[in-house]
Amino acid sequence: MRKAFLIVLLIFSTSLPQDKKPGDSLNLFSPPNIKKFADYLFCQGDYLRAAGEYENYLKTNYNDTVEFKIAVSLCSMDKYSEAAGRFADIPPASALYQLSKLEFLKTYFLKGSLTEYRAKYSAAGIKSGFRYSNEAESLYNFSYLLNDGPLPDKNKFLASYMGSDRDSAIKFYNWKEDPPHKSALAAALMSAVIPGLGKFYTHEYWDGVFAFLSTGILGYLSYSDFKADHNFRGWLFAGLAAGFYGGNIYGSAASAQLFNAKVNFDFTNMLKNFLSLRNYFIPNINFCR
Amino acid sequence: MKNKKAELIISVLILAAAPLVKAQIKSSENESRWVKWGKADYSYEIKDSFAQRDFSFDEKNPGRFVLKSLLNTYWYFISDVDGDNCSFNPTCSEFFLRSVKMTNIAQGTLMFFDRFTRDMDILGKIGHYPYASNGYFYDPPSLYTLNKNKIIYMPPSAVVSNE
Repeated sequence: MRKAFLIVLLIFSTSLPQDKKPGDSLNLFSPPNIKKFADYLFCQGDYLRAAGEYENYLKTNYNDTVEFKIAVSLCSMDKYSEAAGRFADIPPASALYQLSKLEFLKTYFLKGSLTEYRAKYSAAGIKSGFRYSNEAESLYNFSYLLNDGPLPDKNKFLASYMGSDRDSAIKFYNWKEDPPHKSALAAALMSAVIPGLGKFYTHEYWDGVFAFLSTGILGYLSYSDFKADHNFRGWLFAGLAAGFYGGNIYGSAASAQLFNAKVNFDFTNMLKNFLSLRNYFIPNINFCR
Repeated sequence: MKNKKAELIISVLILAAAPLVKAQIKSSENESRWVKWGKADYSYEIKDSFAQRDFSFDEKNPGRFVLKSLLNTYWYFISDVDGDNCSFNPTCSEFFLRSVKMTNIAQGTLMFFDRFTRDMDILGKIGHYPYASNGYFYDPPSLYTLNKNKIIYMPPSAVVSNE
């Protein structure tokens, strides 16, 4: 009985592979399978290998969606120049053409050179009959918030934003118009009046306390030494007290500048996070449903 | 009865062979580790950051020559003997030297006194400065020259590796 069972099992197991024809579905390198694999990698966020597989696919078949996905992959890997070239290659007949123009501008925005980005925006001819002109303008206006140049008129700036985007745009515009900076001169003057006060003004509370203590203690030591006719020690402590006093005035001004740098850094990060969450005002296409 | 004898013999053989097999596995593991990673030369010596001090003189500028002489004396006779105690990178004396090089003797001295005040602050440093890769608070003089363009702000969460 056992022998018979083993024989049947052996026959059954050897017969299984013969049912499948070697060829179509087992050919992992057929163009549809390459595309399937590339789509999988793309949806997993493995953009480097996805782009490579899509390139292999394009060798045999042209597909504008694949071209678009290659560009998106390159952009996700911060290869902005290459991505811009790929987005520019999308033909006008493609359904993704208008979207690729938006993405093309986004790559220049992310590249960091805002002058170059603005030049590309002007050259793209967005305003004349472009489906996503509002979205493009929204991102374009945000470029003014990222550099130190003059801001456009508020109404003109806010014209392209709707709903919650408008609220955020107002908040960012107001911040840029009147940033919560500290004055270096005010900080220095405060520390000149009371040592350490300028550091309090720039939110460096403990530094302010120690500046007050160091100047105060050294000043007192100098005073008491002069009083006791210990002139050398008196001058020594007076010199040190003067050094700490001057250093604190200087340091308060420097601290105000550093505070402003921190405020700008936080603002830029907040702005970039907002744009990233809003996908740079580009309509989202979900390729991974 | 026969089965019991056979089981007994097999058990004895397994028990006898087990340590040999274990030793074999261990040695092959070690061998593969040596081959794979190379032998590491362990050292528990604490490396002195001041062993790499630059005691050279700036002969072109007389002011800096005097300052460097004073700093070299301080490093050689006081700081190196006292130990690696400054919680900042660069250290206060190094900061002073760099400040003077970046600005001038007057501004550099003011920057040094401000730095010394911040160094005395034992309560507000943590969570305020980024870290250098050697574990000290990173606080370069370029942040305090009053030149906005030289300020490269780094958040406290950053770790600076090239200092």
